[in-house]
Amino acid sequence: MSAITILEAIIFPGVLFTIVMGFLFDWLDRKTAARMQGRIGPKITGPSGILQPLADFLKLLFKEEIIPSHADKVIFLFAPALYFLAPLLSMLFIPIIGLAPTAGFDFDLLAILFLLAFAAFVVAVLSYSSASSFTTIATGRLVLQYVSYEIPLVLAIITSAIYSRSLSVEGIVASQTRVWNVFVMPFAFVVYIIALMAELEKPPFDIPSAKTEIVAGWLTEFSGRALAFLKLTKEVGYVFGSALAVSLFLGGPLGPQLGAAVPGWIQYFLYFIIKVLAVGFLIFVLKTALARIKIGQATELFWKVLTPVSLGQLALVLVIIQGGVFLAA
Amino acid sequence: MSAEDQSKRREESAGLMKYSAENLVPFGPIHPALKEPEYFKLILEGERIVQVIPRIGYVHRGLEKAAETRPWVQNMYMFERTCGICSFVHSLAYGQAVEGLTIYEVPRRAKYIRLIIAEMERIHSHLLWVGLMGHWAGFETLFMWVWRDREVVLDLVEAISGNRVHKSMNAFVGVRRDMPEGMEDRIVERMKFLVDRARYYKEIIDTEETMLERTEKVGKLSSETAEKLCAVGPMARYVGLQKDVRLNDPYAAYDEVPFDIIIRNEADVHALLQLRLDELVASANMISYAVQHLPDGPIRVKIPPIIPAGEYSAHCEAPRGEIFYYVKSGGGRTPERVKVRTPTLANLPTALEILKGQTIADVPIVLTAIDPCFGCMDRMSFLDTETNRQWTWSGEQLRQYGINYYFPERAKKCRP
Amino acid sequence: MPRRRAGAAIPEMFRTLIEKPSTQFYPYQKVDLPQRFRGKLDIDPEKCTGCQVCAMVCPASVITMVDFGTRKVGDRVLPVKRPVFELATCIFCGECVDNCAFNALEMTKQFELATPHKEDLVMKKALAK
Repeated sequence: MSAITILEAIIFPGVLFTIVMGFLFDWLDRKTAARMQGRIGPKITGPSGILQPLADFLKLLFKEEIIPSHADKVIFLFAPALYFLAPLLSMLFIPIIGLAPTAGFDFDLLAILFLLAFAAFVVAVLSYSSASSFTTIATGRLVLQYVSYEIPLVLAIITSAIYSRSLSVEGIVASQTRVWNVFVMPFAFVVYIIALMAELEKPPFDIPSAKTEIVAGWLTEFSGRALAFLKLTKEVGYVFGSALAVSLFLGGPLGPQLGAAVPGWIQYFLYFIIKVLAVGFLIFVLKTALARIKIGQATELFWKVLTPVSLGQLALVLVIIQGGVFLAA
Repeated sequence: MSAEDQSKRREESAGLMKYSAENLVPFGPIHPALKEPEYFKLILEGERIVQVIPRIGYVHRGLEKAAETRPWVQNMYMFERTCGICSFVHSLAYGQAVEGLTIYEVPRRAKYIRLIIAEMERIHSHLLWVGLMGHWAGFETLFMWVWRDREVVLDLVEAISGNRVHKSMNAFVGVRRDMPEGMEDRIVERMKFLVDRARYYKEIIDTEETMLERTEKVGKLSSETAEKLCAVGPMARYVGLQKDVRLNDPYAAYDEVPFDIIIRNEADVHALLQLRLDELVASANMISYAVQHLPDGPIRVKIPPIIPAGEYSAHCEAPRGEIFYYVKSGGGRTPERVKVRTPTLANLPTALEILKGQTIADVPIVLTAIDPCFGCMDRMSFLDTETNRQWTWSGEQLRQYGINYYFPERAKKCRP
Repeated sequence: MPRRRAGAAIPEMFRTLIEKPSTQFYPYQKVDLPQRFRGKLDIDPEKCTGCQVCAMVCPASVITMVDFGTRKVGDRVLPVKRPVFELATCIFCGECVDNCAFNALEMTKQFELATPHKEDLVMKKALAK
């Protein structure tokens, strides 16, 4: 493990870069949603309000932490840290400045799937540990939503892995030099985006943290540092979800050559950033345009529509492979 | 209350003790979904609501008692401040009740101006409500757009009366200010703009899939139940009943300005959205007609500050339903009794009825469907915290209870 | 019957994205008020005669009449009074403005009246003459 790798893991493109990207996504989200609604959005902190998410984070760090009397104190205080680690660790498996990620290994896609499930489990435990009437309802909704979106999400991810004949993200990216996966399996991409919105709890699926119905859902009883890190984790999860979509379906940092004068890692980084911002923008638009649906209707949507579609897409991809129409390198 | 009612009440509250605390979700008094504080105890089974027990009185200000010590004109300003959204209609109903006690007639131009301002308030209230429905359903975009268009109506009201909320236009007898010069073209053009926007929002509500899933088949009510529970306003009209004070008992200039009453038959929240937007279009057309056909003449008749003895009641169609004022004068400078019955109080039993069988996700939408204004409606009631029994007393019973409490020996002597 | 679809608001969203936002960026941007706006009261001391009508019609009891000297009418000496306004209690109804027979009162467009000192809101301008 050389010093360069450790530095890469911590600062760029590792932990610090991911956190900064998280703040950037939050700012972009608020600005585009505001402009689409006829408002201005953040404006005063920093040029065009770009420091507003950082200001919100710092403000929450200084607030008092109030723990409900009948909450499980150990989980309440330590589980947010576990939840924060999951998307952060997963970002280390995404290739950003080259074909090889910072800490990739041969089966890291399975590690990513495990970390996704782990994050959802930690959220359920967190939500249940703050025992109040609102959070109990939120836990029920959360677990139900998790059970619904998990299968289409994993199926979409596995479809791209099966097509690329590799269980590491590096392998999947490397197999898209000729044709991006999204053109071979467009339905898997659509299913992935919808399931991602359910995982990130963005409208129309922000049911477990529905602000106007159950106060703040599972976030209700948190305050101070725990709340700051929970909110930051949501943003980092957003960055990670988009980065995974880019790596699995949109060819990662690959793209046409920019010219000999541009060093390799800058070209890879530029393409990666543009694609991630494009996927993020797609989710911003969908989130602003839709209302929140009820948990029964969300479950129906996932089980009756998206699971059959993703299964059908998997079957289609298997047929393509058997037929020998193999476009991967 | 009679003995059998009392025993029925005791049974009900004993039956409620069966539900344990785990099934109880406290909705309010402070909740992001409520604009004003009221406490609703939701008794759940899973996510379905079995019963709702309200507890009101959190914003009770004692306005009816305060009115007894203030001169007639001061009461006009005080009742205007009962509510921000239906402020003009409160002062209009009070003004009409007091004018009924005098011998003076309201001038015709004043009636038209009253109609214009009342309909502008109705447009403002309905736009506010549609935006709030978007907000509770999680559709922030609709909320922001509708409230941006609400500014159009508020700017018009400010240009006519000087303030966006408390219009202070009513006086005894007539209105205080005339329409400014050159407002006619501006009003007609802005009303056309609002009608276009209302049509666009109706289209969104009809086609947006997520919005339809939230509002269709939610909040069902049968017309017999609506009649039995005395629903007023849009809550009566969305089940097909023809209840509109402007039609049944015209006041101001409603007998001269043509308008259609809007009735819907599919009784769900989606129908309520359509109904209020249609009422908005009807109001805009009424305003355009009234502005273009304003009669000439005086706007005010000044009267002496002493109102003759008698009692009179007046009712108006507020944006939320029928508002009812009863005024009793003893021939002096202050009223003897003023009673206010606002539409939210009449619609509250209807709200509790349509909440049964819904899930928690529907609670903000269904509660807001009646367009609640708890500030207007509040009453005082009594609650025994040990047995959870709720009841109301008349003034005489309250007085007797006070005597028994403070002077028990005297009470023992007086009782036969 | 219009077709049900998700994202029916998207065309309008993109139209609003490229337009100017409708936010009035108060307080960095001045607000333009209509001519009839009812703001803070102002009195012209030259025109006030101390007839006390404003104090009698005010619904919020904002106006108190204070002694301002005397005047001779024939061989009688009558007191002269002037109004003092406690603007913190004013409800901005405009009754005093409407009822003043000498047009001494008017409502300005000033509405930013918040102050930490209550004495700032007592208007004794009529006593200046």
